[in-house]
This record gives sequence, C-alpha cells and structure tokens, in this order.
Amino acid sequence: MLAPPDPDPAARRSSWRRWALVAGVVAIALIAGIELARYGYRAADEARAAAALLAVELPDPSGRVQRIDQWRGKVLVVNFWATWCVPCREEMPGFIKAQAASGGRGLQFVGIAVDKPEPVQRFASELGLNYPTLIGGLPAMVLSRELGNRLVALPFTIVLDRGGRVVATHLGPVKPADLHAIVDPLLQP
Amino acid sequence: MLLAGAWTVAAPPARGAGLPAAEPKLLAPEEAFRFSARALDAHTLEVRFDIADGYYLYRDKLGFEADAALGTPALPEALRKHDAFFGEVLTYRGRLVVRVPVPSGVAGQSLALKAASQGCADAGVCYPPSLQQVKVALPAAGAGAGPLVEPERKKGWFN
Repeated sequence: MLAPPDPDPAARRSSWRRWALVAGVVAIALIAGIELARYGYRAADEARAAAALLAVELPDPSGRVQRIDQWRGKVLVVNFWATWCVPCREEMPGFIKAQAASGGRGLQFVGIAVDKPEPVQRFASELGLNYPTLIGGLPAMVLSRELGNRLVALPFTIVLDRGGRVVATHLGPVKPADLHAIVDPLLQP
Repeated sequence: MLLAGAWTVAAPPARGAGLPAAEPKLLAPEEAFRFSARALDAHTLEVRFDIADGYYLYRDKLGFEADAALGTPALPEALRKHDAFFGEVLTYRGRLVVRVPVPSGVAGQSLALKAASQGCADAGVCYPPSLQQVKVALPAAGAGAGPLVEPERKKGWFN
C-alpha cells in the first residue's frame, strides 16, 4: 500500500495562511456588518429624534406657541440654555453675532430655555437677543438625549441642515470658529 | 475650555467635518452631586450632598420635602459669587450638610424625603433641576443616629 504522500510543509503552511485569511475576512465582514447595522440604527434614531425635535411646540416668552419646524428650510441651530446656566449665557453673544452676520443667508438660531418666562424675557432684552427663544424645554431636553446629550446637560447645541437632518451636536459652550466651520458649508447655495 | 471642540458629528458625517470627538469626561448629575440622608435623632434629618471637585450646587435651588411637613432647613454658609445677571449668587462646593427638622409625630416611622437640587460643572455645563428621593427610618424618641441612606441607582444594561 502506498501511504498518501506526506503533504509538503510549505503547502501546509500556505493552506493555513489561506484559512487564516478567510477567517480574517469573515471576521472583518462580521464586524463591519455589526458596525454598519449600529450606524444604521444610530442614523435611524437620530432621524427620528430630529423629526421629533422639529415637531416640538413650545411657548415663546409672550406665551404664543411656536413650532420649531416653522424654520425648516433654514440652517437651524437649536440651542438649549437657561439663565441660571452661566456657560450658556456666555456663549450667546457669539450666537447673536452669527445670527446678525448670516441670518440673511438662511442661518436661524432658536433657543430652547429650560427656564421660566420672566428671567428669559429679562435676559433676552438685556442682551439684545436677535433670534427667537422658546420656554419650558425640559421634555424637549429629554429628547436631546437621543441626539447625543447623554447627560441631558446644558448648553447643548444641535445643527440641522436645510433638510432638517442633524449635522452636528455639541455639549458645552460653542467656540464661534467651530460653529462657523460646521455652519458655513451648509449655508452655501 | 475643557469642552471646546468636542463636537459630535452626526451619522452620516457632514461634508468636511471630522470624526466624532471623544465625549468630554463629565459626571452624571447623581455622581457629581451624591445625595444621602440619615436621621440624626427622632426629630432631625441630616441631608448630605457630596459634591465632586469642579462641580457646584446653587443654594437657592435646594429644596426638601417629605410626606410629613418639614421644618426650615438649616443651610450652612454658602460661597458668594458675583453674577452679571442675577447679582450675588450663593453656591456650595465640597460636602454640603443640611439639618432638617422633622415634626415630632413621625418618630419611629419611615419618611420619604425628596431633595431638589441643581448645579453646574466648572468645565462649562449645567444640569437641569434634579429631584432625588430616599426613605429614612426615624428612630424612636431618645434613640441615636441612623445609617446614611443613598437613593437607589437605576442601572440599565448599557450604563
């Protein structure tokens, strides 16, 4: 009887390598698939949260109910703030400047104050606020959790493009330069 | 500022925007302002907030209520800070201990204490008002202090 030929060690190594390669490719595909699915879920969650945010109805300081999606079609910067939040107040002069400079090109800031109407009205007039701010945003803030505001903290800023898609979010004070870098490309016709 | 530049770019990423920045290291409010309470004796509650370094609580946002009418809390002296909008603002840092008188009728019973608080981090964020609750067993008249009780933490699968 002839014994089967002893496989050549080099061939064995190469077959091992092939298997390792296949296993590696399978693992990468699996991880990529999981990541893609997670990415998809996140995108879907974000889209849902963005739609919910746009549908939010809140009173302005004078008590008139306003819907956020009345500003749809603009590059929307939604900023959660409060008068009792010092870092929130400190970033607002920058927003006022940006609103004045780029409002004509379709930039629209909207504040959502987690606060009472009186201090909001007083602060808005002291500061010369040139964009609308709505009141009583705690439920809306809970919504912001879905958009990445894990701690549901303030200030939290969301940038939406003209199609109502969330482009970026930020917890903490916004640097004007960072805001420009995100918003300016969206303002181009 | 610690948080500057920590933008999170939504999925799918915006034109020209970079990768999502690492999330700033901030404590959840219940970690930043650890609340606990105990009965000192039959007619006094001791409420504590262990405030993490770099965080502070507002004095005028503190509030205590229970299923029995509480006396006026004895708030310790606070830090004074000038605020451009509100004028003088009083805050607490470190360990805040507040004594709250309890009506005599509840000695030997259990009291559901609710504490409202609100504060900020020096890193540049503030937390919305929070309401935490603990059940404190009051000793019978003449007995000593009870153990410190912390609220139960809700732990999900992913946090």
